[in-house]
Amino acid sequence: MSDTLTYVYAIARDVDPAAVAALQGVGGGAVRTLDAGGVLAVVSDVDRGEFEERALEERLEDLEWLAATARAHHHVVDTLGHDHLVAPLALATVYFDDDRVRAVLDEGRATFAAVLDQLSGRAEWGVKVYGRPGGAAAAATQEKPGSGAEYLRRRRQALRETDTALDDARDAAAEVDAAVTTLAAASRSHRLQDATLSGESDPMVLNRAYLVPIDRAADLREVVASLEGHPRIRVELTGPWVPYSFAQAPEGAAP
Amino acid sequence: MVDRPNRIEIDKDEVRRDLMKLVLTIVELLRQLMERQAIRRVDQGDLTEQEEEDLGTSLMLLAEAMDELTEQFGLTPADLNLDLGPLGPLLPRDR
Amino acid sequence: MTAPHSGELEPRATSLFGDQEVALVDLLDRLLAGGVVLAGDLTISLAGVDLVRVSLRALITSIAPVERQGTLEQRAQRELEAGDG
Repeated sequence: MSDTLTYVYAIARDVDPAAVAALQGVGGGAVRTLDAGGVLAVVSDVDRGEFEERALEERLEDLEWLAATARAHHHVVDTLGHDHLVAPLALATVYFDDDRVRAVLDEGRATFAAVLDQLSGRAEWGVKVYGRPGGAAAAATQEKPGSGAEYLRRRRQALRETDTALDDARDAAAEVDAAVTTLAAASRSHRLQDATLSGESDPMVLNRAYLVPIDRAADLREVVASLEGHPRIRVELTGPWVPYSFAQAPEGAAP
Repeated sequence: MVDRPNRIEIDKDEVRRDLMKLVLTIVELLRQLMERQAIRRVDQGDLTEQEEEDLGTSLMLLAEAMDELTEQFGLTPADLNLDLGPLGPLLPRDR
Repeated sequence: MTAPHSGELEPRATSLFGDQEVALVDLLDRLLAGGVVLAGDLTISLAGVDLVRVSLRALITSIAPVERQGTLEQRAQRELEAGDG
C-alpha cells in the first residue's frame, strides 16, 4: 500500500504542459495531469496519513490546516483557470492512486465534457449584500434623555427602525439579485456567512454566485458600481472566479 | 504537528475577560428583553405615568451600567454577541 | 493546442500568488459547497461540511482572544504563530 494518495483539483480539456511544470499543490506536491482520452484530471500526490478518513474529519475543524489546504487548492485551480477551461472539484477529493483517477475519468467522460461545455466562455462572480447599520449610531450622539419616559420613547423608536431596516435591506438585496440575474447564465445561493468567520459586523442579507459570460463582466461591474451610495445596503462584488459553484453535472447525469 | 500551548494556564486575565464576556452577554440579552417588554406594556397602556417613568429610569441606568462594565473589560458591543450560525446572532446587531 | 480561454479575465494585480487577495471565507463558500462532487476513495463527503460547526468548535477549543472578533485568517495566523516555538 502506497503512502501517497492522488489529490484531484479539477477536470480540464487541453492543458499546456508548461502551465503545470512549476505548479505546486497541497502539501507542496508537484501538479501534473492524467489523460483519459479527451478529458484530463489535474492532480498531485498527497500524504496518505493526512487524508485518511478519520484524520480528515479532524482536520476540517483545524482552521490552520483548512486555510492552508484551501489556498493551495485554489492556487492550482486559479492559476490554470486563467488560460484554460477547468471544472474545479470540491476540496479534498482524493483517490488511492492515478489508475483509480483514470478509471473515474473514463467512466464519466461524457458527463465531464458536458460540465466543461457549460462553463466555456463564462466566469463566476460573487455578490454579497450587507444591511447598513441603522439609526442606533445616530441616537448615540444625542443628549441624555431628560426623563425615564423619554428614554423609553427613544428606545421604542430605535427598535422600530432596527426591525424595519433588516426587512428593507432584504428587499433591496432581492432587487440587486434580480438585476444581476438578467446578466447571468445561472445563479446559485451560498449560505449567509457566519460573522465570526467573516469579521463583518453588518448583517449579511444575500450571498449569491452568478455564472456570467465573459463579455458581460463590464455590465455586471456597472450594476454593482451604481449601487455605491445605496442608503439601505452595501454591495460587495468578488471575482472573477473559476466557476466553483457551477461545476455540477447536468441533470440526470451521474459522475 | 506542534502541540499548541494551553492558553488557560498562560493568561488568567484573558480567562477572566472571557468569562465576563459570557456573563455580560447574558445580562445584555436580559436587558434588551426587559426593554422590549417595558415598551410593549407602555404601548398597551398598562402602566401609570409614574410607573412608566420609574421603569424608564431604571432601564436607562441599567444601560449606562452595562456601558461602563463593558468598557471596563475592554469589550465592545459587538463582543457581547454569540453567533448561533443558522439561527443568526443571539442579539440583534443594532442595539 | 491551448486556446486562451479566459483572456478577458482581469490580470491579477498581485504577483505569483494572485489568490492572496481572495478572502478565505469566500473561498470556503466555494470549495466546500461547490465544485464537481465526486465520491473519491475516502468516503467523507465534503458537500455537507458545516462551517458553523467548524467555527463553534474552533471557538470552544481555542479560547478565542477577546480584544477583537477578527477574521478566520487572523485566527489561523495566530494559531500558526502560537504553534511555533
